[in-house]
Amino acid sequence: MELTKNITLGVYLPGNTAVHRLDPRTKIIASTILIVILLLINSYQAYGYFFLFISAVIAAAGIPPGYALRGLKPMLPVLVLMWAFQLFLHSSPDADVIFSWWIFSATDAGLHLGNMITLRVLFLFTVTTILTLTTSIVSLTDGLESLLRPLKKIGLPTQELVMTMVIALRFVLILAEELDKIVKAQMARGVAFDRGNFIQKTRKIFPVFLPLFINAFRRAEDLIVAMESRSYTGGKGRTKMKTLHMGRVDIACILIILLFTGLMVLTIFT
Amino acid sequence: MFILNPLIETFDLSYAYRTGSDRQVQALREVNMHVRQGEILAITGQNGSGKSTLARHFNGLLTPDEGEVLISGLSTSSRENIPSIRKTVGMVFQNPDNQLVSSIVEEDIAFGPENLGLPPDIIRKRVDHALLTLNLEHLRQESPNQLSEGQKQLVAIAGVLAMRPKCIVMDEPTAHLDPRSRREVIDNILRLNREEEITIILLTHYMNEVVHCDRMIVMDQGFIMMEGTPTEIFYQDGKILDYGLDFPVATRLARSLKLHGIDLDDNIIHTREIVERLCQLK
Repeated sequence: MELTKNITLGVYLPGNTAVHRLDPRTKIIASTILIVILLLINSYQAYGYFFLFISAVIAAAGIPPGYALRGLKPMLPVLVLMWAFQLFLHSSPDADVIFSWWIFSATDAGLHLGNMITLRVLFLFTVTTILTLTTSIVSLTDGLESLLRPLKKIGLPTQELVMTMVIALRFVLILAEELDKIVKAQMARGVAFDRGNFIQKTRKIFPVFLPLFINAFRRAEDLIVAMESRSYTGGKGRTKMKTLHMGRVDIACILIILLFTGLMVLTIFT
Repeated sequence: MFILNPLIETFDLSYAYRTGSDRQVQALREVNMHVRQGEILAITGQNGSGKSTLARHFNGLLTPDEGEVLISGLSTSSRENIPSIRKTVGMVFQNPDNQLVSSIVEEDIAFGPENLGLPPDIIRKRVDHALLTLNLEHLRQESPNQLSEGQKQLVAIAGVLAMRPKCIVMDEPTAHLDPRSRREVIDNILRLNREEEITIILLTHYMNEVVHCDRMIVMDQGFIMMEGTPTEIFYQDGKILDYGLDFPVATRLARSLKLHGIDLDDNIIHTREIVERLCQLK
């Protein structure tokens, strides 16, 4: 599909490296720690360390660097815009002006802030991409279910929520195909989706979504009947075929992450 | 009437769909039928004849307005029997896309056994067995989205098989398939009956599928109109045409050849049979 060619977020790249074999829970926790670190980083030196660390992880996971970067392409315009906003719109009284034009003036403080935020978004994206590239959606949801299990005590229906996610993931592609079919059917009857101004174009979308929603409800009804006849009665009393195990690799990974966290805490707060 | 080994029995079963506050559509009218252990039973009838509604009574998805349905002697009308009934009678539906749950084939097959609360190693064994039986082993890690419609339907059947039911109800399992996948699915269904000794109830429009069954029921407007072996029913002078159905290809050919003076038996239903008879004529 044309649409999905450049999207690497959410795509799984099968492999058999140590990173792939990690327990999904380890990977989710590690990614969360890395994201928290990213939110606190405020110097080029810290970003340097972070870059080295992430490069090592990408190499260990056997992800082609070009592939990891391709996913950034669609984000580029947004990143540039964000950087420019910070550069020109950040004002502080004692900042040195680098250059000014018309009503805009770029300060060194703005430049610093722009760089920091852009780098932060870049790395946030990279961390989540590595997670999804090395972890199949199914083991991600398994990990999530296991991590959320304690919340069941306070009444959160975790198993049902995860089941909903699993089903949603399965039906995303089916509904995308259906949307494509409906669009083509309307085009065959003379609807020109690419013509007209913004409002005219938007109005043409409604007749597409109505049948899509109706079909989605019909599918949901069929699915409920099928699940019910396969003895589904909710999360209660259900077992899992695949059980998760933390191994030596996981302990090693957590140690590495802790060491790295220590290093980052030192660079951030000194 | 005493029937040996009845797996499913219905007694004066009536059911109506309510379509609004005071309107209803009578889907089943005083249906009395039975399914024997180990047989392949075909239920046919045109759209709206009530065959799907009847099938949904076999594992408690619907419960009778009047009358009773017994599955291995258990009534579907009492709620506490339902878990045991669903373990006995599995169902496969028309559209495979709307009955697969997971994005990985083997995970989907595990869904049923997981619902039964079985221990992980037993689920694994059952999933492996189901994959092996339906020749799906090479697809175990695939996503259903990447499979052909026929393969998806086999995965759906495997998902039911892994629950080890005594009986599988197939609600037009081949309606969405191309002729070749249709053949493959039917062959697998017949093999399940032969090798795994699973009772099969096949709902279908295709008379060429019916001829493989031990017995058939013809439905129209919520009534059971005819019941018997395919040979018996297709032999009855065109009565089946009144219910919007047709003869199998072989029977149609044999009848028209006979009109042209070629001496053939009336009770031909299999394509293989007519080929053999025609070859003997020379």
